[in-house]
This record gives sequence, structure tokens and C-alpha cells, in this order.
Amino acid sequence: MTSKKSSPFSAGLSSALAFPRLAGVLWLLLAAVGLLVYVALKGAVKPFDDGPFREAILQGWSSWGMASWIGFKSREMAVSMPVIYFCALVFFLLHLYVTAGVLRVLVLGVHRPVLRRVLSEGASLFRPTLWATLRFAISLAFWEALLVAAPLSLFEKLAGDDPIPNDVWAVTSELWTVVVGAIVLFNVMARYDLARIALAKDDAPTARGAYRVAKERLRGARPSAIGLLLAWLVVSAVLQVLFTNLGIRMNPSTGAGLALFVVVRQLGFFLLAMSRVGFWGALMAWEEARRPVPLPMPVWKPWVPEKVAAPEPAVLEPAVEPAPEDVPAPPQEQLG
Amino acid sequence: MRALVLAPLALAVCLAAAPALALDAPTKLVDYDIQVELHPDTKLVDGTETLRWTNPSGDRVADLKFHLYWNAFRNNRSTFFKESGGQLRGDKADVEKGWGYVDVTSMAWNGQELAKGFRFESPDDGNPDDRTVLSVALPRPVEAHETIELKIAWKGKVPRVFARAGYVRDFFFFGQWFPKIGVYEPAGLRRRTTSGWNCHQYHANSEFYADWGDYKVSMTLPERFVVASAGAKVDEKKAGGKKTVTFVQKDIHDFAWTTDPRYVVKEDVFDPAKDLPQEEVEKVSKLLGRSPAELRAGFHPVTLRFYMQPDHEKQWLKYQGAQKWALAWFGLYAFPYPYAQVSVIDPPEDGLGAGGMEYQTLYTVGTNKWLGRWPLNKVRFPEMVAIHEFGHGYWYGLVASNEFEESWMDEGVNSFTEAEMCDRKYGMFLEFPFGVGFQDEHTQRLIVTSHDYDPIITSSWGYASGNSYGRNSYPRTATAITQIRRMVGEERFWRGFRAYAERWRFDHPTSEDFFDAIQAGAFGPASPARDAAPGQATLTGASVLGQADVVMPLKTDNPAFTAREYRGLIRRTFYGTGFVDFRVLEARSDELAGEFTGFNDLRKATNFTEDLKDKKKKKDKDKKKDKDKGPWETRVIVGRDGDIVLPVDVVLTFENGKTYRTTWDGHGKWLRLRTTYNSRLAKVEVDPEQKVVMDGDPWNNARHLKDWKGPSAARKVQAYAVHLAQIVFSSLWAIGL
Repeated sequence: MTSKKSSPFSAGLSSALAFPRLAGVLWLLLAAVGLLVYVALKGAVKPFDDGPFREAILQGWSSWGMASWIGFKSREMAVSMPVIYFCALVFFLLHLYVTAGVLRVLVLGVHRPVLRRVLSEGASLFRPTLWATLRFAISLAFWEALLVAAPLSLFEKLAGDDPIPNDVWAVTSELWTVVVGAIVLFNVMARYDLARIALAKDDAPTARGAYRVAKERLRGARPSAIGLLLAWLVVSAVLQVLFTNLGIRMNPSTGAGLALFVVVRQLGFFLLAMSRVGFWGALMAWEEARRPVPLPMPVWKPWVPEKVAAPEPAVLEPAVEPAPEDVPAPPQEQLG
Repeated sequence: MRALVLAPLALAVCLAAAPALALDAPTKLVDYDIQVELHPDTKLVDGTETLRWTNPSGDRVADLKFHLYWNAFRNNRSTFFKESGGQLRGDKADVEKGWGYVDVTSMAWNGQELAKGFRFESPDDGNPDDRTVLSVALPRPVEAHETIELKIAWKGKVPRVFARAGYVRDFFFFGQWFPKIGVYEPAGLRRRTTSGWNCHQYHANSEFYADWGDYKVSMTLPERFVVASAGAKVDEKKAGGKKTVTFVQKDIHDFAWTTDPRYVVKEDVFDPAKDLPQEEVEKVSKLLGRSPAELRAGFHPVTLRFYMQPDHEKQWLKYQGAQKWALAWFGLYAFPYPYAQVSVIDPPEDGLGAGGMEYQTLYTVGTNKWLGRWPLNKVRFPEMVAIHEFGHGYWYGLVASNEFEESWMDEGVNSFTEAEMCDRKYGMFLEFPFGVGFQDEHTQRLIVTSHDYDPIITSSWGYASGNSYGRNSYPRTATAITQIRRMVGEERFWRGFRAYAERWRFDHPTSEDFFDAIQAGAFGPASPARDAAPGQATLTGASVLGQADVVMPLKTDNPAFTAREYRGLIRRTFYGTGFVDFRVLEARSDELAGEFTGFNDLRKATNFTEDLKDKKKKKDKDKKKDKDKGPWETRVIVGRDGDIVLPVDVVLTFENGKTYRTTWDGHGKWLRLRTTYNSRLAKVEVDPEQKVVMDGDPWNNARHLKDWKGPSAARKVQAYAVHLAQIVFSSLWAIGL
């Protein structure tokens, strides 16, 4: 539960720090697929130890070493590529499964046991998540085609035959592609993420329903949702660039150095996973603030018979008799 | 009769004199005075030229041959179009609207019209529809050494640019654009035994060849057009909304010009006092054995003009840096640039068919706006193109080889010098973020990944395919020249190289002239090769190592590479399709048996039982007692695939850290090294310094024995690759999934 007064961004930060095990689950997935790739590449990289470039590669980048590997050993690499593509596909599907479970666990606020819970919750959400992802892809393609590709064709026509390269139409096209393309992407992304949250919160059992819920949430508030998305994207990008740079600079040349490199890089990926958890936490807080206020539910109380007061004695009031004159006198009895 | 006596004598004199003469100025045989008017709306040109041509031979020449290069774009029946399929370097011809031509409407000599004697020829492929060689029958022969003056009128249509020349919108590039006389080669020139015309058709893979002379060109066009041209502007007149601009350049054999109203012109000066790096002068001084003062003499200021497209304006600084470095480098390693100016032309992005091309005192580059911005601003493609195309100002421009017949002398030599300059200046010419990148020489060396079907020396239209032309003319030549350099050593190579450049500037060399110059620089003039012993060589015995466990000093040039091996390399690469691949065939270290086992000289069984029925097995005490104490018998076999013979270093490294180095002369197909030593072999390396750049597979040049421990490069690459994959996978989080 987040305080109503804290911003969604800070709510996300809190989530990131409060749920490190969830980040750990995400990282575990990445590490597992990385391990598969590691095994797949074993044959392709063996020449680096057997061949003449061992010392040069240990010292750092070797232009001829790497150029000749690409030129002479491309077949060995080509053999590994199908496995790597398979790993990418596996990662994609597992990622949908696991992230669905992560979202549900985040909603429930469960801290332990995390992995088991993620896997079990993910099972129930996998199918609607898959549909939601398919809808994301189709939506993205549709809107990009309509709002980006179609105007680009128009600009091309407006530019005329033989347009000067990089003229106003070319620059406009490039800017349009980047700016409008990004706006479309973030819009579609925002709705998709909110739909996944709706699924996690059981606001809708199907992807279609979840998308409807997401649409409602976004009504009148798209810019703030997209702003939140962008902010966390920047956080992720900064982490990725920082740790990639650090990894390159480490340039290990010993076994211990290589081990340290692996540790540092995996730390980077773990922090990245935390930022992803943070993003979802932030978006959930944002969504909470946008949920409609529910009508008060009637409160059930046990029936207690009412105490009936003793009736007051009846007060008979004389009947109002008609005035004698009103009533003919009764005939006198004559006795005779 | 006199000709019969004089001609061989002249030939002998020419051949004998060839190594000694160096020209400070060319022998000029042509003088062009051209006037051309461009009609930009219709893309038509009207031209007149006065051509003075001198017969260089002792022959009487009965006809003239002209190149009409733009007729290659006349229709789809031209030789160029048939061979290229209507494309060049990926740019396609506009077959709907983009055809062009050049038609000589009149040619007069001494007032006599020669048009009746016009005939198109196809000396290379017999294509009756090709119109790129015009033969003109003369009413009388041109006498030996006579100079004639021709008045020529011609009309042309500028093609849509896809193959060097043409237009796109208001950008026009005029390369090989006027009727250009062929080269009449007298006997002795380029080792010809008889005189004759050298005037080839325009092929998809060919470039150009012409005589030296002076040019004066006047262009008339609308005032709004900015004109860039070879030479220096000497006059400009304006009238009626048009202007006529005149340029003059002496001592060249090619003249190109361009115009575009959008050009933004940047000017600078190469000032030797500031732009000639002192450390480079000193380095070359030691290399060539010449004083710095001698090297600096001949340098002079050169005006640099950069004609940039407005959207690439800032990238002129890339070209400026590359151009100044190239002027300095060529001036030191070849000879100082003799002309007063260089013009660098930046075509529009949809006119890159005109880009990346050389002419004299002018060349075209090519870029796009992304190469000027991070993160692609360190992908130094524009700089590489500038260095390459300026380099052609030397190889083809000043050292005027025949690009039709010996394309390697221009493209290959230039690719070699381009890689040297790019890698020296930029380190990595293709540099990406995070310190990843490749050197130019290494990208060229990848040519050895596959074998060739043509020798390097093949006429440009005679290669099996455009791909073969590209491979052999450019990177294979560059790699072969690099190989020669590694074998003969820096000093010897560069002295021969500079001698070649100085001797053949302003002249027309052949392939053998290049080989002779390098050989003279490397091995002395006309040195015969030392005979090397044929067959395999073996080095055996403990005396190889014994107690003298020292690392032999690194050799910078290899005495086993003699003139004989040099000529063998030339024969198998330039004149053949040879290759070489050194590899480790075997590497093992076996611990010698400890105790003596078997019959001794007295026929006494030692350490085994003679009784065949004895089923008791003798425990092998050696296993536990003396294990891993040595000594070890080490055996290494190195093999050579292919027919190129080169000496190669072999280094053995033992577990105790000691190394043993030897040099195999490469003769025979294998080398076996055998020794007994008290340490086990850890690894074998063939050519550890990668001097054999033509090695067909450097990855089989080393073998690490399996139980040698050390940091693993494979694991490092694996780890980085995995992290790259993880970065890609985790990007799903970034896009909201």
C-alpha cells in the first residue's frame, strides 16, 4: 500500500527497495538464459584459446584477432546462432510468464516465498498475458503504420521528384519518425502495461477486458502515464550504460578478474531488474490514484427486534350523544 | 633501313636507361584548349576543343584513336552496360531518362574535315554496338614526332549519374567528358616491343589512361552555378545571366570539373612549416637515409578547396585533416606534391555515383550526414575515402600507370598506401563505441579467407567477374605488397618504394618497373637469389637447447627471404593465384621412460621377465616414482599448404617459461623440430609476429598443449558475448514488455 500523498515515482522507488526478491527472480531468468548462451558459444570461442590470439585478447581488443575470427571462423559462429535464437525465443516466452507472476505478487504484496509464488501466479496469468502481448504488437504495428508510415509517404510525395537530400521534407520525415514514433510507442506501451496490471489485480479476466480497463485509467491522464514510463526508461538506460561501460573498462585478463567482471555485470543486471520492479510499482501507484472511488457497501447488522412499549390504557371518551332535541323523545309509556 | 637499325637501339637505350632516369616534368604530348557550354535544363553540352597532339614515336601514324567515354551510357548495347548490367558500385543507371552520349560533329585538320574517316572500333571485345572508341582515318600520316592541331566540335548529353559522371538535379560532374585522344605508345614505352595505339573501350571494371599535357578549359553556364575544377581559375566573365569561367592546369593527363549552385566552399592551405609533422620527417629521414632538409625540400604551400554540400558543411574538417596528412605522408614517402592546389568535391547523397573517384588535382569523396554525428563520427569512412582518392593523384595521377591493363598498379598500390596512412593517423579507421574497431589493413587482409581464380595482373575486363577485379586490384595487391614489406624490412622496402615513385613520376610504368624498384631497394640492383637447399629441414638434438636457454632476438627482416623468394612471391601472386597457409601439424611432449627396460648387450633381460608363461605382471614402478620429472622428448611438425614459399618463424614455449625460436625458410612442405629437454612443451606458435600476412588461416598457427593452464581468452570472449546477449534480452524491459 502506498501513501496517497507520495508521488508514483517515489512509490516505485519504494517498491524497488521493498521487493528485491522479485528483482532477483527477474535477474534469475536473465542469468539462466545467459547460461544457455554461454554453453551454446563454447565451441565457437574455443579457437581463442587454441589459436594465436590468446594473449592479445586477454590484453584487450585485438583488431586482427577479431577481424580474422569474423572472417575465418564465421562457420563456427553460424552453428551457434540457431541456439542463440532459440534462447531468445525461450527468454521472451519465459519473460512474459515470469513478469505476469511478478506483477501479481507485487499486487499482493507478498515478500516470501517469492519464486514459488511468482511461478504459480504466472501460470494463471500466462494465457491472457500472451494475448495482451499479441494485441500490443498488433496495436503498435497498426498505429505506427497509420501515424508514422502513412504521413512519411505523404511527405515523400510532397517532396516531389528528385528532392534535395536532407531538405526540409527529409528532416521533417526524420523528426516525425522519431517523435511521433516514440509517442505512439509510449502510448501503446502505457496501455499494455496498465492492461497487465489490470490482469494482475483481477480487474478483468481476459486481455480484452484488461485493455478496456486500461483505456479507462488512461482517460485524461495519458501524459502523466507516459511521463512515468519515460522517467523509468531513463533510469534503466543510465544503469545499462554505466555498467556496460564499467564492464568494458574492467577488461579482465586473469581468471579472478573475469570472475569479478561477471559479478559486477550481474549486479548491474540485478539493479536493472530492480528498476523494472520499481517501474511497475510506480505504475501501480499511479493506477491506484486513478481508480474510481467505489460506492459504499451496505453494512450488515444482526436483526434485533424492536422493543414494543406497553400500550397505554384506552381512554374511553363518552360517546357523543345527540342532543335531546335532536332525537325524538321516546314515546312516553302510558301506563294505564 | 634506318628505322631497322635505330629502333632496336632506341629500345635498348630505353630499357637500359629506365632504372636511372627520373623526370621532373612529364613528356607532354597533348595540349587541350576546350570551350564548353552547359545547358542545365536540357542537360546538353556544346563543346569545341583545339587539340595539339605530338606523335611520340618514330613511326608515321595513319590514324587517330579517341576515347568517347560517355557513349558507354548511350544505350544498353554498350560494352560498359553489358558488362556492368547497368550498375556500378551498387548505383543503378536510370534506364528511363538517364542516358547520355558524346558525339563528335566535326574534326578538322588544317581546314580539312575528317568526319568521313570516322569509324567506331571495339578492339577488346568486338562489340559492334560499342561507341567508346572512335578511329579517325587521316588524309596523310602524321610524321614521326610531328605535332598536329585538330579542331574538334562535339555535342553531348549528360547522363544521370551512376558511374562517375553525370547529373542529379543541378549537380553536374564532368569526368572523362570530352573527346580524348588515346595513347600512342612507341616501342620501348612500358616495355612494348612495337609501337601502337593503346586505346581501350570503356569497360565496367576499367578506368583510364592518357598522355600528359596542358589543359585550358572554359565553361559557360548560368551565373548561379558554383564551379569547381582541376587547375586554377584564371578568368571569369559574366554576360546575360551566364558566366564563362576559365581554368588552366599544366602537366596532367586528365581534367575534370563539376558544378552545383549549392556548393559551400571552404578554403585552407597546406603549409609545410606547420602541417609537416617534425617527428614524421625525422622518422622518414632515418628510414630512407636522407637528411630532414633534403626531405623538406620540394614541399610548398598547396591551396585546398573543399566544395561541400550544405548538409555536410561541418564535415569539411574531416577532409581537411585527412588531406593535410596525405600531403605530408606522400611528400615524405614518395615525393612532394607538385601542383599548386587540390579541390575536394562532396557530391549530394543521391549523387554518390560520382563519389569516391579520382582525377588530377581534384577528387570526389562521399559521405552522409550521420557520419558527422555521434556515434558514427569515428567511423572514418569519409577520411579513408579522401586519403584513398587523393592517393590516386599519385598512383595513376603522377605515376601514370595504365589503369586498363594493370589496374593493380593504381588501385592496389593506393589501397596499400591508404591503409598505411589511415592506420597511422587514426589507429582504427572503423571505430565504434566502447573501444571496438578495426584497422584498415586488417580489413584488407581478410581477402585471404578465400582463394582466387585470377592473377593480380589481368586486364581489367579480363577478370572472371567484377568481384574478382575488386579482390585482385585492391585488397589482394595491398596484402601482397604488405607481405613484401614484412619480408624485406622497413628500411629496404621504403627506399625501394620511394625510388619507384621518384623514377616513374610523370611517366608510364609497368608492373615489372614496380617489382624491379622494390627489388633494387631490398636486395641491391639485379641481385640473383641465393640458392636455398630444397626439401624439408630438420633440427634435432638436445644441443638445440641444452643449457643455452635463451630467447633468440627478434629479427626485423629475414635473411632467408632473398631475391629468389621475392620473385617467387611475385610469380605466384601477381602472375598467379597462389596462396600459403602455415599450420601446426603436430605438437607433443612425451616423458622419456626412466629405467632401462629390455635386453642389454649381454642378452640379459632387464626389468622384465623372459618367461612367457609367467603371468605375474611386473609392477611399473616408474609410474609413481619418477612421474613428471622429465626429461621430455618434444616433437613439433609445422606444415605449409599452398605454393607460395616464405620464411616463417617458429617459437616453442616450454612450461618453465623458456622459449626456443627458429626460422624455417619455407622450402619443402614441412619442418620437424625434435628435442629432449627437461621441461614439457606448453605451446607452439608459427609466425607469432604475423609477418606472413598472406597466411590463409592464422587460426591454425598455434597449438597449446592440452594441459597447459593459464587465463582463458575463450572464456573472456564467451563472457562478453553472453553479456551482450543479456543486454539485448534485457532491452525488452526497456520497451515495456
